[in-house]
Amino acid sequence: MNPVVEVKNLNVTFKGEEGSIFAVNNVSFDLAAGETLALLGESGCGKSVTLKSLMRLHPMHKTQIEGQVLVEGQDVLKMKPKALSAMRGKTVSMVFQEPMLAFDPVFTVGDQIAESVMRHERIGYKEARQRALEMLDRVRIPSAAKRLDAYPHEMSGGMRQRAMIALALACKPRVLLADEPTTALDATVQIQVLLLLKELQRELGMSMIFVTHDVGVAIEVADRTAVMYAGRIIEQGPVQEVLSRPWHPYTQGLLGATVHPGMDRNQALPAIPGAPPQLIRRIDECAFAPRCAQASSRCLSPLPGVNTLAPRWTRCIHADVSQA
Amino acid sequence: MSALLRVQDLKKHFPIGKDLFGRPTQVVHAVESVSFDVEKGRTLGIVGESGCGKSTTARLLMHLIEPDEGRISIRGKEFGNIGGRHPVAQLRRQMQMVFQDSYASLNPRLTIEDSIAFGPQIHGVSETLARQQARDLLDRVGLNPSVFIRRYPHELSGGQRQRVNIARALAIKPEIVILDEAVSALDKSVQAQVLNLLSDLKKEFELTYLFISHDLNVVQYISDDVMVMYLGQVVESGPVAQLYENPAHPYTRALLNSVPAQTPGQSKNYIVLEGDPPNPIAPPKGCRFHPRCQFAKAICAEKEPETVKVSGSHKAACFKLPGSVDHQTYIRLQEVSHEPRG
Repeated sequence: MNPVVEVKNLNVTFKGEEGSIFAVNNVSFDLAAGETLALLGESGCGKSVTLKSLMRLHPMHKTQIEGQVLVEGQDVLKMKPKALSAMRGKTVSMVFQEPMLAFDPVFTVGDQIAESVMRHERIGYKEARQRALEMLDRVRIPSAAKRLDAYPHEMSGGMRQRAMIALALACKPRVLLADEPTTALDATVQIQVLLLLKELQRELGMSMIFVTHDVGVAIEVADRTAVMYAGRIIEQGPVQEVLSRPWHPYTQGLLGATVHPGMDRNQALPAIPGAPPQLIRRIDECAFAPRCAQASSRCLSPLPGVNTLAPRWTRCIHADVSQA
Repeated sequence: MSALLRVQDLKKHFPIGKDLFGRPTQVVHAVESVSFDVEKGRTLGIVGESGCGKSTTARLLMHLIEPDEGRISIRGKEFGNIGGRHPVAQLRRQMQMVFQDSYASLNPRLTIEDSIAFGPQIHGVSETLARQQARDLLDRVGLNPSVFIRRYPHELSGGQRQRVNIARALAIKPEIVILDEAVSALDKSVQAQVLNLLSDLKKEFELTYLFISHDLNVVQYISDDVMVMYLGQVVESGPVAQLYENPAHPYTRALLNSVPAQTPGQSKNYIVLEGDPPNPIAPPKGCRFHPRCQFAKAICAEKEPETVKVSGSHKAACFKLPGSVDHQTYIRLQEVSHEPRG
């Protein structure tokens, strides 16, 4: 079966007055129907930039995008404006970290959901409102009929996040892009929203790309994970395997440095020394080498290519990949 | 052993909105009779969700906002702005705070050295000595003084800035440091570095920490004792191991359970709470947690449960606990069926 999303050699560069930022560097991945991929990484690693490229949400005049982003065989990067806006919200939809910024504050939540349905499915206002009501019900917003006429600021954070999910799923997209949708939520609300997303994904049979910095969240939602560092995917594979037996020293370091239950409180945390590099040039060698205990001189020359279509791979010449 | 820091019945209500006569129309019940002790050299973790009053409690302790009621004493000396109490300036020499936003808490126009040396000079240390100490501290928090003293906050990364904030807090040699979400904004790899630094500094300077965080794993790692807050009240407190392994309050149980498993392959049965934490403007009557509690009965909506002993210093406020005066009444009541709230 053909993958729903195919990203091939994606490069995203932001042009600024003080030079360019090489935010995403040669990123390739596939997404099958019904599958969830977690893009895992720390701030500035390019995970959100990669995600936004799938809908071309970057400021046009400042961004240079190269490569291919195929959604159901169509190249998003080559789409004309009309085709692009027909795709956004219909084939591919997105939920953001901060729902207050994603909603228009001067329209009711019900009308904003209805607008999206009317725009994509060419149906009347009444029917669209009915769909909005169904969607609010579906994301388990209590007294949905009443909430249709609520403005975004009248809802609590958790409810707004549900409403945004309702908006994103109103046209039954094939792919849902989720950019840290639970990071701003409290623990007890985060788990409600995560379980809801998983359930809706199963019901609607859609694929999902989930951007997160939280290892626990990735384990909870994803089938597969791609770990990003300094604008590149450095390791990719089934979430269970990658996060229980990481190959790349960065993945190992990240997991080790993440505080988890059962750690010895009398031992210092195995922190990764230093900080991620600035992306002010294209880094072809291993970007993690300056922080890596296993680094050798070979790590400082351009890294060999990897077969990104393999079920599991890593971009490290020292990785012990035998213990799969 | 007597406590280093003792807090008794701390209370803060914020009036919001004004009617025709300038009287407040609504009141945010931010902190409601919060009491606790912290012993010298221990770390008290304070956890809870947004709006539970954990940060307000920290600010009340520092007198960054004036408490409505309550007593704050260090080594038996009571501090406050009311006559007869020791002045707040003295309190702040013994207790310092590090905030979540490392950038907003540094003056952008001061160099790192100036920022760190500022506090001691206010408290009477000579400029030369204060600057010398600033350099020593920078070195101590892992920043090379010769590289960093002349720098400005915007030239530093988040992790480096938070190190500067820690150095600044330590500059006036406090006994107690309040860390209000001090590592929450940092990436995991940097967070681990700063947590290690905090542990080292604690040993070296014999510090006592109040560690406020929403990250339950980090709190478990760093704290000796934990206090769980919900809508301005302490619902449970006790030694970290007991509280995490054997939570007594239904809210604590749900909160701890809601953390996604960090190990792959361990599927978890989540206790999923309904809805969001309610608004502290109109907190529910009785037990403030009862509208979301699966064990709530009629009495929980009427009466506020008192704090009772679970075992040792482990305490919680819930009628389900055998120690509660109304426990027998609670047992006899029928469970209330839960309908979705509108």
